[in-house]
Amino acid sequence: MSRFSNTPDRRSILRSFVAGSTLMPGILRQLQAEEGGGLDPLAPKPPHFPAKAKNVIFLFMTGGVSHVDTFDPKPKLREDVGKEVKLDHPEIKDRAGYERIFLKAPQWDFSPQGQCGTEVSSLFPHVGGCMDEIALIRSMHTDHSNHYNATLGMHTGSFAFARPSLGAWISYGLGSENQNLPAFVTIAPAQTYAGTQVYASDFLPGAHQGTLVVPGAEPIANVKPRIETSNQRIELAVLQKLNRQHLALRSGHTLSEARIKSFETAFGMQMAAPEAFDFSAESDATHALYGLERGSTKGFAWQCLAARRLVERGVRFVELIDTGSSGNWDSHGNMKDHERLAKNVDQPIAGLLKDLKSLGMLEDTLVVWTTEFGRTPFNNKADALGREHHNWAFSSWMAGAGVKPGIVHGATDEYGIKTEVDPVHVHDFHATILHLMGLDHEKLTYRHSGRDFRLTDVFGNVVTEILA
Amino acid sequence: MKKGARGRNAIDAFIHRDLDARNLSPGPPADRRKLIRRASYGLIGLPPAISQVEKFVTDPTPDAEAFQTIVEDLLSSKHYGERWGRHWLDVVRYADTAGENSDHPLPHLWRYRNWVIDAFNQDKPYDVFVREQLAGDLLARNKEPQEQSASIIATGYLALARRFGHDIDKSMHLTYEDAIDNLGKAFLGLSISCARCHDHKHDPILMRDYYSLYAMLDSTRFSFPGCEPKQQPRDLIPIGNAELRTKREVWEKTRSELQTQADAGGAAETKRVKELATRSDTVLTKGDVPDGDSIHVTPKPITLSVRKGEAIHLSILPRANYGADTTILDYSITYNPAKEEIRWSLADLIDDLTLGNPQDTKLGAKWCFLNTTNDEPRFLTGRKESVQGKPELRAWEDGAPPTVLVNTSQNSVKVWTTLPGRTFYCHPGPQGPVAIAWLSPIDGQVEIDLKVSDGHPGGDGVGWRLEHFAEPEISEAYLALARSSAIRNQHLIALREHAAMEPQMDLAYAVAEGEPKKARLQERGDPEVPGENVPREYLAILGGGSLGDGQGSGRLELAKRIANADNPLTARVMVNRIWASHFGRGLVATPNDFGNHGQAPSHPELLDYLARHFIEHGWSVKAMHRLILSSATYQQAASDGITAGTFSAFAHRRLSAEELRDTLLLAAGTLDLSPGQEHPFPAEPSWNFTQHAPFAAEYASNRRSIYLMRKRNRNSAYFALFDGADPNASTAERGVTTPPTQALYFMNDPFFHDCAERFAMRIRAAAPDTPGRLDFACRELFSRPVRDEEVSAFEEFTATLATTINGDAPAIERESWSAWARILLASNELLHTD
Repeated sequence: MSRFSNTPDRRSILRSFVAGSTLMPGILRQLQAEEGGGLDPLAPKPPHFPAKAKNVIFLFMTGGVSHVDTFDPKPKLREDVGKEVKLDHPEIKDRAGYERIFLKAPQWDFSPQGQCGTEVSSLFPHVGGCMDEIALIRSMHTDHSNHYNATLGMHTGSFAFARPSLGAWISYGLGSENQNLPAFVTIAPAQTYAGTQVYASDFLPGAHQGTLVVPGAEPIANVKPRIETSNQRIELAVLQKLNRQHLALRSGHTLSEARIKSFETAFGMQMAAPEAFDFSAESDATHALYGLERGSTKGFAWQCLAARRLVERGVRFVELIDTGSSGNWDSHGNMKDHERLAKNVDQPIAGLLKDLKSLGMLEDTLVVWTTEFGRTPFNNKADALGREHHNWAFSSWMAGAGVKPGIVHGATDEYGIKTEVDPVHVHDFHATILHLMGLDHEKLTYRHSGRDFRLTDVFGNVVTEILA
Repeated sequence: MKKGARGRNAIDAFIHRDLDARNLSPGPPADRRKLIRRASYGLIGLPPAISQVEKFVTDPTPDAEAFQTIVEDLLSSKHYGERWGRHWLDVVRYADTAGENSDHPLPHLWRYRNWVIDAFNQDKPYDVFVREQLAGDLLARNKEPQEQSASIIATGYLALARRFGHDIDKSMHLTYEDAIDNLGKAFLGLSISCARCHDHKHDPILMRDYYSLYAMLDSTRFSFPGCEPKQQPRDLIPIGNAELRTKREVWEKTRSELQTQADAGGAAETKRVKELATRSDTVLTKGDVPDGDSIHVTPKPITLSVRKGEAIHLSILPRANYGADTTILDYSITYNPAKEEIRWSLADLIDDLTLGNPQDTKLGAKWCFLNTTNDEPRFLTGRKESVQGKPELRAWEDGAPPTVLVNTSQNSVKVWTTLPGRTFYCHPGPQGPVAIAWLSPIDGQVEIDLKVSDGHPGGDGVGWRLEHFAEPEISEAYLALARSSAIRNQHLIALREHAAMEPQMDLAYAVAEGEPKKARLQERGDPEVPGENVPREYLAILGGGSLGDGQGSGRLELAKRIANADNPLTARVMVNRIWASHFGRGLVATPNDFGNHGQAPSHPELLDYLARHFIEHGWSVKAMHRLILSSATYQQAASDGITAGTFSAFAHRRLSAEELRDTLLLAAGTLDLSPGQEHPFPAEPSWNFTQHAPFAAEYASNRRSIYLMRKRNRNSAYFALFDGADPNASTAERGVTTPPTQALYFMNDPFFHDCAERFAMRIRAAAPDTPGRLDFACRELFSRPVRDEEVSAFEEFTATLATTINGDAPAIERESWSAWARILLASNELLHTD
């Protein structure tokens, strides 16, 4: 019956410390963060175990990138082009015109890259040049062949029900190192499948939801002052004075205290965010590295450089979504469209990896590249121009902090249809990312409606083979 | 009670006994100004009017009695239901979209939302409230027509369960899971859905319990919201008088027959064309025309060998952003056996476009105009002898694009854009191309000349694809398709005519009895692996027993078992919700979870007492408010320094997202206090939502926030920012977070600035002098007079501003008041109740 015992709760103990004011602020914030309902849910928290990675840049290619045309070479697929195959595949089941399916040849040539010799197709010449930094996983698989479900799954570990996203879990697990910027930022020119759910905090406290950045004039909503900053400063000073008077009559009202602090932070953010998105101090060489035209906010190059700058400023998790729910990698009509999409991301991603490396940031930054699923190595005609959705196999990769560089993990069968060696499910992928951040995916839980929820549900194994 | 009689009612006795045991004392009473602001936000979600506050403050009657008058006033306000209805909508995860992959709107569900609001306003007994939501359609059978409608609308509770996937009919097992999960939490405070896959060792809910409920839902017909492959809603429930309803049922039956005929018409022929095309396809050329551009696809004509019966098939495709897709085609096919040239050109069709489809031309060649949406070729059958009232324009179109179109006159015609004269146009549909097929009458070589031009700049252009189907049988397949399309067209015309005769009735998104199904387990929760049959029974933990005779869904029996005085949970769960909403913490701190996952009650006897009181007073929610608000425990001063769960003081409460927005609009003087009704969703026949382009509209409104349209897949940025309810799952309690992005809202949001600007105008109009104006602002927002130090703070502030703002004295004054309005509206005093 300890539940009913007359012990003061944690908050009042904390408050008595605050009143004593001898406790180091850092420890206080840590204690409060542990309590969950403390002043600042974004206060930094220690990882479960020491880890190299402090930040994540998560690169998401919307629409389903064809693995057999990018990172998973299948010479046999080219040899056997036109051969009929029989498969119980979710995308052809009961589909008119798909009674018979035939192998379709890859449309781009592969060649060995770097010291490691990992083969990459000509769609990704720049990323190909970085393979010595990358741990490539060729045996990814996922539960669903529908964009919406697979995209939700890749972001939340749940393929139907809304759940907190990966970035929110990491924000919840580790907090933020920069109080002037959010812990979790999603940079997306348009909404992807499943909409806001991919960066939502769901049942985790709202502070952990991704802050949406839309490339353009005002990347973060309401970050641009609507009055002169000097006047706003005067205004805020009065507001804070009134708020402190209000608090003085209600001592210990933690929410009021937190809110007073949040205005200071917001004012800082108002300065810090535009500064983070102002690339004017970046050299021409840096712009060129990313393939970014000075002053332009278009394309993935802007997103990549923004990601580097945000991570530099202590943002814990930055997700970049390359395109929205249309006009993306979903090349049913013609695989040639992959060229346009690869061109948008290839040099910027390579630029990001090189830039992080030269700045020493790759030491503690994990870069993750993925898509929601692959594309079918077959179609209903051997000379069909497009490929369909394929959740049985696809390729993803990681690079940077804690990742074994220059390796290939797992393999698909001779045609890239099924994973054959060391399959990595989305849950395993998530468990590995958490592990690299020093979080045990089985221990990072949140109690909600009577149950301890995890990102990985009741699944997930860390892919130890790719750990450095 | 060792510290003397301090209580006002039984609640206090329980609370004080516990405090005594802990050696704690209750807090002092709140002052009247704070109390009325607390109660007003607490009951109606709006601040009290200045006059109400002054009346209460100066009321000479004793505190308890004076406050009772206030409580009665608030409980009889029509805005009471708008606040307490919202609590319930949180619990039942209300939203105005279905949540499947394309997030279809639910244009009729607002009736349920308003039914909830009305139910609270009318103080509908909670047991009836519960029964109607679970089985209102069955209870309606013995009611008057008006009550029948309301009772049917109530089952919107079940219908609003989330939908999943692409074709939602295939994922109904997930929808049932969502419904069972919510039903357990909302009415019983139990997590039932854990039992979907297997029995849990320490969980009182068994798998057979789960599948009993599952069978009930499976025996129920849910209104269908539409989804990507099946855009149109169905199974909506007509409400209104019985005669009309019968008429409507007959009408619906005919419609569904016509629809079946129309859908079946041509399906085989479509498949045949597709098969032959797939087998024989060569793409001759394809590409995109950028916005406003014109591309001569064949600067050198394409030379092609064709055989009699083969087809050349030109598709014009929409690009990512559909719209402004009118396309000019210059297209000809020339046959030149040495000298005598024969040319088939679209330009030749300008005068005679609507003669026929297919259209016979030279040598027996045929032009065909097709809609190939979703890769399903069908002939366009709608012959239009004028377009938008312009007789110069002729077209083939079936209600909406894809379209082929000509301007027959020498002059330009201005419609959605200016269409030059003597020109052939086409317009793809949002989901697919318009196609023009040429069926070859000859064996030999032809030359193809094609130019594609954007005829309506301002979009993102269109794509083209020119294919050769080298299959001599395909002409016959096209012609067969044309014949079937003509028949289908008759069905479609009949369907359209039938639609025009639709008996105009209000519709509810609700449920009705379906085909009765037996309860059957599913192995590991997989509907593909059915297990043993089980008797359909009520939850074993709550006494079990058969539910219904198996003839119907059993929902009525379930509803009666749940909304029953003998049910130990139903009343307790609801009184705990009411308590939690007032005190910021329930007697059970997990209001959706009374099971062994949740927390034990802090005051079990008080909880029992309240539940008993609730039932004995006819399950009246308002009576429960009266009891709680008349307690000394409620009327204590607020303090944050209390030990959680002792209720030794009242807790400060932050305004919810709705309360904040409503307060801002109220201060601005622009809050529309009339009840909201339906949302301005696009008309159902125009729907074509996909996962690529889901429903994503936003609708502005100055009504109270409960009436704002809320989507499931694209949550509102405002509600996400201020801890609004989760539109996808039951929200028992709102979170309270204070991220800096919230502060940014108060600093820079345009809506906030606009409200403050308007509030400043009201302040300036309220009194001629500064202290009078400041006093008005304080009374309006905080229910208290201005303090002297605030007057001096304002004066100091304006003096500083005068040195930094450019402009004359009136401009400085104006800006000072705007700034002051922003400060007050952003203040902690505004955002919290004491």
